[in-house]
Amino acid sequence: MGASLELDDIQAGALYERPSPYVGVYLLLCIRDRADGRELVRRLHRIVDPASTIGTADETSLTVAFTYHGLEALGVPQTSLDSFAPEFRQGMAARAEILGDTGASGPDQWEEPLGSTDVHVAIAVLSSDEARLHTVAEKARAAHAELPGIELIWRQDCYQLATGRTSFGFKDGIGQPAVEGSGRASTNPRERPLKAGEIILGYPDETGELPPMPAPEVLGRNGTYVVFRKLHTRVAAYRSYLRARSASRAEEDVLGAKIVGRWQSGAPLALAPDHDDPELGSDPHRNNDFAFGDDPRGFKCPVGAHARRANPRDALDQEGSVDVRLHRMIRRGTSYGPMLPEGVTEDDGIDRGIIFVFAGAHLRRQFEFVKTQWLNDGIFIGAPRESDPLVGPHDDSSSFTIPQRPIRRRLQDLPPFVVTRGGEYCFAPSLSALRWLAELDT
Amino acid sequence: MAAPDSGVTRPGLSVGPTSEFSLFFRVKDGQAPPLRAALLSLQDTPGYRPGDYGMAIQTIHEARFVLFDDDTRLAFITSFDGPWDAYMEDFFTSGPTLALFDAIFGHVEGYDGLPDVAAVRAFVLDAEQTAAAYARNYGGTVKEIRKSQRVNRAFQQVLDHAQAAEILEHPALRPLLDEAAD
Ligand code: HEM
Repeated sequence: MGASLELDDIQAGALYERPSPYVGVYLLLCIRDRADGRELVRRLHRIVDPASTIGTADETSLTVAFTYHGLEALGVPQTSLDSFAPEFRQGMAARAEILGDTGASGPDQWEEPLGSTDVHVAIAVLSSDEARLHTVAEKARAAHAELPGIELIWRQDCYQLATGRTSFGFKDGIGQPAVEGSGRASTNPRERPLKAGEIILGYPDETGELPPMPAPEVLGRNGTYVVFRKLHTRVAAYRSYLRARSASRAEEDVLGAKIVGRWQSGAPLALAPDHDDPELGSDPHRNNDFAFGDDPRGFKCPVGAHARRANPRDALDQEGSVDVRLHRMIRRGTSYGPMLPEGVTEDDGIDRGIIFVFAGAHLRRQFEFVKTQWLNDGIFIGAPRESDPLVGPHDDSSSFTIPQRPIRRRLQDLPPFVVTRGGEYCFAPSLSALRWLAELDT
Repeated sequence: MAAPDSGVTRPGLSVGPTSEFSLFFRVKDGQAPPLRAALLSLQDTPGYRPGDYGMAIQTIHEARFVLFDDDTRLAFITSFDGPWDAYMEDFFTSGPTLALFDAIFGHVEGYDGLPDVAAVRAFVLDAEQTAAAYARNYGGTVKEIRKSQRVNRAFQQVLDHAQAAEILEHPALRPLLDEAAD
């Protein structure tokens, strides 16, 4: 047992997944007037769910987070602003070059107002059905509607299908770390739950230290950093790419599975190397219970597959220079836009993809490390010229190696399948921090 | 290159995928003899014995410890695959580096030891000096070099086969035949 988490002070959304399926909406607000901003926070505080209420009757959840400029707009003192992580202070757009958000994914191409200093408050409302969503979204709306100093600047509907599948057709959200003290067991019995401080500020992390925490303590403790990114997926391009390189639909499925590291059903290649196994894919007791140690060369799951890059599990344990547990994250992605109908390989011009959401205590060594070292680069697998075949930037002629006997297969000239539409680094404070923010008198 | 106000570290110079990493320390008074002894015994551990080629940290190309200025200073100089600054915390939580640190750096100034990771991090960043010039004579990561060596060994084995010349005549093997003559 680890240190007990103060569940009644932590926002539920950071720690717990919503039961699937659900519908939801993301709202971005701009605080034009400080007093109205604080009134907004006071109202939001009343409708945010603490982690301790999860699993009870109310099947709707609301999570609220602030950007650096949002905290500034609320009048958080400068000394306190300066105590936040440098990446958070800079904001995602300023980190674009490092993150590989260039060209079509560059901030100058981002959807308005993403990446601008107007983005202050981010609210996610998720619910099991439209009616309940409407009720809570209405509460959120009421929280800002009659406040003239608060402007709704962006709204994005999102959902998760009952199958858990996202636009490329793959079940997502399976690989997640467990967190000590959260009361949830690990879905991967081979991975000990992470020290709470990897995800929630104010508790020791995997290095045995308290993660750097914003001051004062009431503001930082029980909070977590949140990253959201709107990622457009070029589904037709992805399907045509596979089709052009396959003799059959079955072969397309194999190539897709090699690219992701799991079959569309979610069944991991490590356990089902040759054929999809939908029963395995949907079995939460088995679909995350695997490692890569028995497959160092990647004959079952390529070392460059998306999920193996994003979480190499035991694959790098022998290297003496990387501790995978320092680079884990909670993901809360949702889908946006309608699915491209099965079999269609012609682009219909409709925007679809995922809203990628990260929660963790360390922006740099969790989100940015995974994105830059493991997804955008291939140095760590001895393939510096390869990046993630699914989500890598692929600006020059990218390739992807599929180890197989007798001769490896190499996919050439991968186009980018994912384009960043924008995003931001946020901070999801505790309930007591929300109260503190509402009561600021600067 | 450093960005002091942001607290964000920058790697040293890099060539291709590899970055240089050099640390300079002051030896504690009277600690030069035990430090030399510690380095000698390090040199005698598996992986560090000349000819072993299997250091515990598999992402560095080579490592050297140099005592200089009458044994008052110690330099640790290596080349790392990837930007080393991204791996700072990893060094202090993965076993082999830790053991190395405790055995060697206990003899230099400023090292208070673990478990204070933040202090060790500051200690290392303090000792790091970015090279003024850095060049490499081959590209590639340790993983790629090892793969090339395995492939070459296999190739030499093929060449030793009685029918090698005949087999390599196939047009698809032309690039290999070009490498077969010496
Ligand atoms: C449009 C972009 C993306 C798509 C479509 C996508 C899709 C997927 C899919 C299908 C899986 C396998 C299912 C699962 O284990 O949940 C997965 C796993 C994962 N992805 Fe992504 N992903 C995207 C972007 C990202 C980014 C940007 C990151 C991190 C910076 C990331 C991190 C992860 C992680 C950590 C896992 C779990 C690996 C494991 O624990 O086995 N993904 N993703």
